[in-house]
Amino acid sequence: MLEMLPHWLTDWLGPDGMASLAYITNGKHLSWYASVRYTLIAAGFGAILAVFFGLLGAAAKLSKFAPLRWIGDIYTTMVRGIPDVLFLLFFPLAFEQGVEYVMAQWYCKPEELATATGWPLCSNAQWYLSTTEYMVLACFSLGIVYGAFAANVIYGALKAVPKGQLEAAHAFGFPSRDVFWRFQVRQMWVYALPGLSNVWLLLLKATSLLSLLQITDIVSWADRLGAPNYSPLAGLVHGDWRWKYYLVLFVFYILLTWLSEKFFAYLQARAGRGMARAN
Amino acid sequence: MTAVLDVQNIHKRFGSLEVLHGISLQAQRGDVISLIGSSGSGKSTFLRCINLLEMPDQGEIHLAGEAIRLKTNHKGLRTAIDQKQVQHLRSRVGMVFQQFNLWAHLSILENVMEAPVRVQGVQKAEAREIAMDYLNKVGIAHKADAYPAFLSGGQQQRVAIARALAMRPDAILFDEPTSALDPELVGEVLSVMRKLAEEGMTMLVVTHEMGFARDVSNKVIFLHQGLIEEQGHPSEVFSRPKSERLKQFLSNTSIK
Repeated sequence: MLEMLPHWLTDWLGPDGMASLAYITNGKHLSWYASVRYTLIAAGFGAILAVFFGLLGAAAKLSKFAPLRWIGDIYTTMVRGIPDVLFLLFFPLAFEQGVEYVMAQWYCKPEELATATGWPLCSNAQWYLSTTEYMVLACFSLGIVYGAFAANVIYGALKAVPKGQLEAAHAFGFPSRDVFWRFQVRQMWVYALPGLSNVWLLLLKATSLLSLLQITDIVSWADRLGAPNYSPLAGLVHGDWRWKYYLVLFVFYILLTWLSEKFFAYLQARAGRGMARAN
Repeated sequence: MTAVLDVQNIHKRFGSLEVLHGISLQAQRGDVISLIGSSGSGKSTFLRCINLLEMPDQGEIHLAGEAIRLKTNHKGLRTAIDQKQVQHLRSRVGMVFQQFNLWAHLSILENVMEAPVRVQGVQKAEAREIAMDYLNKVGIAHKADAYPAFLSGGQQQRVAIARALAMRPDAILFDEPTSALDPELVGEVLSVMRKLAEEGMTMLVVTHEMGFARDVSNKVIFLHQGLIEEQGHPSEVFSRPKSERLKQFLSNTSIK
């Protein structure tokens, strides 16, 4: 493919430059670049789920029905207290084994169940997880953990919406559900976005934990590519270059952070349109 | 002739404090009733009981002859039997608040269109026309696309009145509509209200503006400690007060 480059560029790069270019565009490196999709998908869907769980959690915390309030409080206190690494290890495994346990009740013979010592309880009740399933579970794990943070942010923001405006909506005959969604939630974003942008950045950084779930993400690839290589047959001979690869990841994450800041500034301006608070 | 609003024997307590001890009121079409009294007399609470922003502990509310059905639940709390009926009542009785309470995320025009479109199901184009009519009427049509935060208090309150009018209500409740305004802005709001009164709008006004109560309303109710102490035509109430408390109240209040 490199033969397609124009002459002036190949001349300018020289033989060493061309060799480096060939190195960073070999198959493994291209796979590394492609694995960025896992990070982006996990961050994107994780964030959507986090906002979803956050809204549910906040609504539960504000509910008139006491058991719902307890559920909301338990969710935000407990999940926020658990290290995200642990939860990312725990949730997919617990979910997988839970599914396998239910499958065992259907697919295993009673005598197999009675004598089962290992896991899964019988070979028919084994659920093989591919990267796709792990990605789904990773998105949910991130969504649940950061949803708990988002729930607290959204809860505070919902309470910051001026009561009088909600009262006015009631007084004009809007049903309670409309008052909540069309007025309270609609105005909540202005107060929630600064906090949610924090949650988003934490979530974005937590995507570097995907390798814990057997997903070959950018971090796993950086590990592999940076590891010392002494065999010319396997490509460029180099020592321990992992720090170089990690530096590239630093830059990548900082770039994403910078883009996020821009995006949130835009959202903030949009959500706060007309709601000047400085006067 | 059925009264537009017929409110009977309203009681309301907050915890152990009973703030309304049984207040009744009837408003015929075109009535302008001013509720006056010192702060803490219960006049705002009473007004808020009429559209159930506060749930009265006892009493009945009729709107154009239709009784709002209330019950006492197993915890001893009063609730509406039919939430839809309450919403209907509220959409038929406009309300103007002391703090305006315009919806900050909507433009002036959207503020006035929102409830007619969403609650009453009026077509958008028609609602826009109605909204512009009323914004014209309160003299603020040129700000239709601005957001509430960019308007003065007096302008916001006039929009709030247009918002209430756009529902084509049977009556409008005014809860101290000029109390949050700078003195120089009070006049523009009162003159809009005066115009509405002349056009025959049924209005219940909680107010500290004795001049308005005297000149515009056809009935004044003086509340004291959760009870009606004295009521009547303003010429009676203001020039020949019978109760000692009203005399005292009026001597402490300047009538402009």
